[in-house]
Amino acid sequence: MIVLILWILAGVLLGVITGMIPGLHVNNLTPAFVILAGGSGSVEIASLIVAMSITNVFVSYIPSTYLGVPEEGTELSVLPAHRLLLDGRGHYAIKLVVFGCLGGLLVSAAFLFPFLMIVEPAYGLIKPNMHWLLLFVVIVMIAIERSPSKIVWSCVIFVLSGFLGLVALDGGILKSETALMPLLSGLFGASVLLPSIASNCQLPEQKIDDREPDGLKKPILTGAFAGAVTGIIPGIGPSQGTVLAQLVSGCKGTEDFLAAVSSVNTSKALFSFAALYAIGRGRSGAAVAVGQILEIGSRELIIMVGVSLFAGGIAGLLTLKLSKIMAREMSKLPYRGLCAAVLVFITFLVFFYSGFVGLLVFATATSIGVLPAVVQVKRTHAMGVILLPCILFFAGVKESTLSMFGLA
Amino acid sequence: MGNGKIVRLSLISSLAGLAAVYATALSTSQRITPIAKIDNSFIGARVIISGQIIDVQSSGNKHMFLKIKDDSGGIITVPIFSNLASKLTLTIGLLDYVEIRGNVSVYQNELEVIPSKPEDIKIVHTAPASISEIKEENLGKPVKVYGIVSSREIIGAGNIILNIGENGRKLKVFIPSKIVEGIPEVHVGDEVVIGGWLQLYNNEIELKVTSHLCIQKLETFLK
Repeated sequence: MIVLILWILAGVLLGVITGMIPGLHVNNLTPAFVILAGGSGSVEIASLIVAMSITNVFVSYIPSTYLGVPEEGTELSVLPAHRLLLDGRGHYAIKLVVFGCLGGLLVSAAFLFPFLMIVEPAYGLIKPNMHWLLLFVVIVMIAIERSPSKIVWSCVIFVLSGFLGLVALDGGILKSETALMPLLSGLFGASVLLPSIASNCQLPEQKIDDREPDGLKKPILTGAFAGAVTGIIPGIGPSQGTVLAQLVSGCKGTEDFLAAVSSVNTSKALFSFAALYAIGRGRSGAAVAVGQILEIGSRELIIMVGVSLFAGGIAGLLTLKLSKIMAREMSKLPYRGLCAAVLVFITFLVFFYSGFVGLLVFATATSIGVLPAVVQVKRTHAMGVILLPCILFFAGVKESTLSMFGLA
Repeated sequence: MGNGKIVRLSLISSLAGLAAVYATALSTSQRITPIAKIDNSFIGARVIISGQIIDVQSSGNKHMFLKIKDDSGGIITVPIFSNLASKLTLTIGLLDYVEIRGNVSVYQNELEVIPSKPEDIKIVHTAPASISEIKEENLGKPVKVYGIVSSREIIGAGNIILNIGENGRKLKVFIPSKIVEGIPEVHVGDEVVIGGWLQLYNNEIELKVTSHLCIQKLETFLK
């Protein structure tokens, strides 16, 4: 038992490291652990991966909030959290996401088995109509811009980012594991950092208030359910899950949004492991790695849930602690210089993982990502980068579309 | 700088970038990668490979595993999982030439290229050799031959021995019991194309079949 706890703590530590360093992902480390396990069926190594994956979800909100650097799943949280940061409430934004993450984790763990019974048959019903559902989400997202010029710009941003996503993700120019990195870093990271560098803005002093977030039950519950759906269904990420959760719950406002998106994220992380048990397939890189190490039966699933809850509890406390340190130190640092350093670092990582083609995709994504702020529409339209390929996939026309463009 | 200028610059930059990304994707999508060049750095990348099938295996759950060799001398496994195999309308046989598009993956430390849809697999059937062309020099090599079944007997624990003939020449074909399930119904008089490995057994050359997929009746082979 003590040995298992030590492995879990090692996973938490690695989750903190991968979460805090922009661009470093859990998937970069999991292959090494699969090799280390060597088909031994090691519960300890599988637990390490689960703990690392769950902790990473929590901690990755720190760079995305304080530095505006998103990882997969946190991209939509960047702007609302950044807004709170510029208001001197960066730590409060982290409190919200920690609440959301823990709430999502607890709800999804409590309802895991009933969820599994519902979600899998429900998926069978939803899947044939998934493209209509996603299209509906897109239309609603665009329609709520209200003014005709904003609607036109929203469509332009959706189409540009969607086409970029289609070519970059399915055109064979980038490796599948690293293809999202230049896209998301450009659309939601560099495009947020550039205006901060250009405007020479200085971060206000960050307030560390002890106020507890309240009234977040609805976004957390709907977020957990959306996370369950996205954890089982392929091709739907936390961002689409959040949009669905918001539509279903009618939640509005920054606080609800951050709680919902973080609840979706931890619930999705947990359900991606549960999918191994339910449908025999992992729905994340970490889950696939666990599936290669262990055969997941109900006993193993219960262990994974326990590990997730244990690691989540520690990760929540660590995230708050790290956020306090960041909040205290951030305003003392030259924010413009920090943003420039982060931008250089992300550019280096993009080059390291995906070469010159990755840089080209990154630059294009950044150019598109700048547009929502200057034409004053929501940045969520840039989620076309994932939504458009998903819609085409579920409509069964992705291959013919790629063929039409000479890419298949 | 006003917002109008930023918008124009962003748009121009986005469109130019998209054009460049698209052009890169177009040039990549047509390029064939030599198998010998595929290493761990390719894991996750989508590639096109082209070569000859030098081995075909199948598993109980209807997955197919091809081994492809190309001019670079490299050999790589191409798993065709049951959900895809069931959608294929073309037959795949030993020594056929194929062009495969797929993602490079690693399984048990071995690299493989995994196609995901029927269009990812293009096949050019090779003509079968004549039985008279089979010589002792071919022992230990894969061959595909045409012949007419002259006898069929079951030996041991369900192994099948076929005798096939063509222009008076005969060849014994050994089908191990473990692959018997799934082979087409073959009767005396049927025209068949059979792929396998030549081996010497009791001083007689025989063709050992390694997968049920290597046995095709002529009408199936011509598909």
